[in-house]
Amino acid sequence: MLALSPRPVDEPTMLMLQASPVAVACGFPSPAQDYYDGPIDLTEMLVDDQEATFIVRASGHSMTEAGISDGDELLVDRSKRPRDGDVVVAVLDGQLTIKRLQISADRVLLKSESSEHPDIVVPELSELVIWGVATFSIHHLRRP
Amino acid sequence: MLAHVDVNSAYVSFERVFNPALEAVPTVVLSNNDGMVVAASREAKALGLDLGRPWFELRPHAQRLGVTALSSNYELYGDMSRRFHAILSRFTPELEVYSIDEAFLRVSPRIARDPDAMTALGRDIKDTLRRLIGVPVCVGIAETRTLAKLANRSAKKIAAFDGVCVWPATRPEWRQQLMSRLPVSEVWGIASRLERRLVAMGISSIADLAAADPVRIRKAFNVVVMRTALELRGVPSIVAEEDRTGHKEQLIVSRSFSEKITTRDGMRQALSIYAQQAATRLVRHRQVAKLLTAFAGTSHYAEQRSFPSVLVKLPAPTADPVELTRAAHRLLPLIEDGGRYARAGLMLTDLRPAEVSQPLDLFRFAHEESRIAELIDKVQRKEGRDLLGLGYGGMRPGPSWQMKREMLTPRATTHWDELATVRA
Repeated sequence: MLALSPRPVDEPTMLMLQASPVAVACGFPSPAQDYYDGPIDLTEMLVDDQEATFIVRASGHSMTEAGISDGDELLVDRSKRPRDGDVVVAVLDGQLTIKRLQISADRVLLKSESSEHPDIVVPELSELVIWGVATFSIHHLRRP
Repeated sequence: MLAHVDVNSAYVSFERVFNPALEAVPTVVLSNNDGMVVAASREAKALGLDLGRPWFELRPHAQRLGVTALSSNYELYGDMSRRFHAILSRFTPELEVYSIDEAFLRVSPRIARDPDAMTALGRDIKDTLRRLIGVPVCVGIAETRTLAKLANRSAKKIAAFDGVCVWPATRPEWRQQLMSRLPVSEVWGIASRLERRLVAMGISSIADLAAADPVRIRKAFNVVVMRTALELRGVPSIVAEEDRTGHKEQLIVSRSFSEKITTRDGMRQALSIYAQQAATRLVRHRQVAKLLTAFAGTSHYAEQRSFPSVLVKLPAPTADPVELTRAAHRLLPLIEDGGRYARAGLMLTDLRPAEVSQPLDLFRFAHEESRIAELIDKVQRKEGRDLLGLGYGGMRPGPSWQMKREMLTPRATTHWDELATVRA
């Protein structure tokens, strides 16, 4: 049937509610309007240094107990100085590898966060290349 | 005082950030269609793999030499270049982007007074770029652009500088010796063609040019060479080539095809896509164009050589893809079915900022009103280049003329599906 629809049928579904920045033509303007500064910007919240932050994807299961599963994306900030306890991307045998950095008085360890994967002892701290510090994991809770 | 910063073997260095296994491996990056070497790592240069060498010549030897060859990953280089320049701008209020991997920075007067402070600045720039985006750079600091380039060259070639050369901090005798030793062709802007004529005048070293009478140089050559000579004496004479907003005088979209185009329809599609790319770039730079040149050409070695081109005056300055496509298609009557075209392109000239040239309403294009270029740009950025296009440019490529990039690495910083993988 070709009944006239009062509204466009193809209106995209918006998951985010946006207040109108334009004054309403009649009646009282919404009091919320004065307080609206735009939606939450995830980049602004999660990224300190945009030029130094890279997104990478984890492959493997050695970090599951740190909340990083196979296929999760990670924000890696190269501007952060690596500290004991950080989850870092290190260069091991020419490959980017994600592990937890453990620095103690007598040794440096790249620790796996899974009982099935061994830790890696770093013999010389000077030979360890840290590519960046992981700041957030985008952990997929609902698989497609 | 100016600092000149550039990325060492930029394309190779950008690739190595995401593939550390290439560190210390002789690596080359190839041009469009994997044609020839456009970037070579230090190790590759040491093996005699020079820029400009055709890939088909090198391919048989590459494996034996242990050379890794990669296709140009323009998306990756573009994004890394953006990061490079953005980080440099943290060090100066005045950044002059010179190319994808080079920039000049104005050094503040306070720092410029103190050679030690300048050295510290150079080190800081070098270390920061290495840390934040993982690329090695060299820094040259001097009174003029020409000397800053020369200082950068020294920083690269002389190990003792460790990548940072502050010209005024070096000994005058050393500078004199270096300039007497280096041929004049090592100076920024002196081409080999010019060199021959300079040598004929008795000017063979950089020191000779610096000592030459500027008036005599201007008379024998032109004001550009005279400015170079003055700059070598520390007199700033060359101004920024391009303003800092990224606005350019002209915009060229052109490629050689991986396989020849032999039909008018094939050419129509190529021109449509180029028109759209040109429109997108204009919109991004907030510019409009008044003139469009469309051109095509067979190989110079073809039996039937043909290089058709048309210059189209646009009805009003525009960035509208519909108008640009229409104008580009004016080339088609000159294209012969059966001709073997190896290349085509568009050049837009007479560019101006979009906001100041508001044409009279009479000349506004209907499509411009609907902001179709911005829409296409938005959708393409979000969904990829192949999803949406205008007219013939929107057809999915099966066409053979799409760029051949057989050894392309992932576009790790611009494409969600191609992120770098970290082993967990």
